[in-house]
Amino acid sequence: MKLAILSESPADEAALRVLVEAVLRGPVRLVRPGLRARGWPNVSQVMPAILRHLHFNTDADGLVVVVDADDSVVHTPHHDRPDYFHPQCRMCKLRAVYRQTMKKLPPAHGRERALRAIGIAVPAIEAWYLCGRDPTVSEQAWIEGQQKGVPPYTRAELKKRVYDTERPSLEHETRRAMQEALRHRHDCRRLEYDFPSFAALAQDLRGWKAAQPGSGAAASRAGRPEPASSPVPAPPPACVGAAAPSAANGDLPPVKA
Amino acid sequence: MIASIHFRHFKALRATSLHLTAFNLVIGPNGSGKSSLIQAIQRLRFLSQQPLDTELQPSLSPELQHPELVFRFPPPNEGIEVKLSCRAGMVCDHLHVSAISSDNWEVLKQSLVTSRVYMFDHYAMAAPCTGAVEEGLAANGGNLAAVYHVIKRFDPGAFADLQAEVVRLLPEFSGLDVRENSEGLLELGLILREDREFIPAEGLSQGVLYMLGYVALAFDPRPPSVVCIEDLDRGIHPRKLRELCDLLYRLSYPEQYGLHRPPTQVIATTHSPYLLDQFRDHPEEVVIAEKQGRAATFSRLVDRPDLKELLQEGSLGDMWYSGILGGVPEESDPAAEAVTKNPLQP
Repeated sequence: MKLAILSESPADEAALRVLVEAVLRGPVRLVRPGLRARGWPNVSQVMPAILRHLHFNTDADGLVVVVDADDSVVHTPHHDRPDYFHPQCRMCKLRAVYRQTMKKLPPAHGRERALRAIGIAVPAIEAWYLCGRDPTVSEQAWIEGQQKGVPPYTRAELKKRVYDTERPSLEHETRRAMQEALRHRHDCRRLEYDFPSFAALAQDLRGWKAAQPGSGAAASRAGRPEPASSPVPAPPPACVGAAAPSAANGDLPPVKA
Repeated sequence: MIASIHFRHFKALRATSLHLTAFNLVIGPNGSGKSSLIQAIQRLRFLSQQPLDTELQPSLSPELQHPELVFRFPPPNEGIEVKLSCRAGMVCDHLHVSAISSDNWEVLKQSLVTSRVYMFDHYAMAAPCTGAVEEGLAANGGNLAAVYHVIKRFDPGAFADLQAEVVRLLPEFSGLDVRENSEGLLELGLILREDREFIPAEGLSQGVLYMLGYVALAFDPRPPSVVCIEDLDRGIHPRKLRELCDLLYRLSYPEQYGLHRPPTQVIATTHSPYLLDQFRDHPEEVVIAEKQGRAATFSRLVDRPDLKELLQEGSLGDMWYSGILGGVPEESDPAAEAVTKNPLQP
């Protein structure tokens, strides 16, 4: 499978490739040169041109987009109702950009459209890296903090926890991102459970796999409806959940530093 | 390190102060005092090397607005104040030190003497040079080959680290070497990964040479106390700016890179929104130079009360370009001019 990853840094791209391969359970090839965005809202601004480029000029099967949520509204299953769009939700916004762009493009390279997978890291991708290592970090914890008006942690604190410095070099950032992503290579369920916005990305990706030639679903790929998103997967066997994470979790213990 | 500078009638800097941190990125339009800031530090360096003038500042004509610069320093030199002023004319040529102890000034002076202003010239960097390295990397980078040669010869371990960094930053190359040419001059070059061909500096691009200059600076075992760089982004691809910042952070925050040496204060100017984007997590390092009429002032981005909200809305670079952060050129107002020339008749 060939895909493009639109991210904010080479460190993110390296880690996302590992996570995407973990979800797809197989290697992927990346479109080169790698795509970069300058954070929000640049991602949404540059995405239409990227989609057009991928659709007409490459043989990419799809585009993976991951951006930080920062302090924006977190996507919830409530947002997945038909014809619903939350203007402050980055997932809703990026899906709308994708829909509006692709509906204008005619088929090319024998395909109806490049597929898309969108993940919003809440509040930043470093939270994903801490999953399973720091039980206080989860999407639910962040949402509860937002509701109380007291965020459980800041972006800067997450970065410090992951990189152990306030000014990581790109080399160090990449190394740490890869180390943490590789922890999830064989089992992403904890990450999906603690971070439903990652689960949405994973579900999009699994939809791609189903759409591959030879799979039963391939024939229906063209015009495939938008996949339902933000599915909160069943918790992993011994995972007690984001609301009450436990280091005593037998199957998925927090990884020690 | 310099804690603060107060400017009075120094070029466009009529009356403004600037508090400096370990790393400072100065943005602003042309003529807003960015280069004047660096010239002030150059002036401090020059005058601090001269014998201390024990005479009091001569009385000057009050009608003339003579320039004056006041420097203050962080601990342990917080008790020292250095004032640069004029004996006559309009050039700062008089240095007066207010210090609790003269010993403190002597120590501080030795540190200030090592401050450097860099404006790399890729033609000078590419030219073969002699082996002389008297004061580290030259201001234009013209002795780059000699700097690498000295490290290679006297500190092979440091040279290996430096070479590894170059190869990481420039993956199309597999190594770096300094060779003596037929005229006995030193020639720097990179070795192509593909076929091991030695590409002399004259065959390297402007941006690659600048990057080699910044690596030499960042890996200098005895770096300057203060480094000023004009147009830091010049010649560097926007995607390489993050790594450029990393190199300079190595100077400013050595402890975060596992280095046990005093930090180097970095003051860099730029006109690149892409470089400014790199400072989203550290807006306290950004200084905005503002020009209104003939007067320029400095302010720190972090002093904006609405910064947190602004950072949620977009990239710093885009916001700067839009004008909401200030630090943009003044523009004429054709509509206002037209109205002035043709006022509405009652």
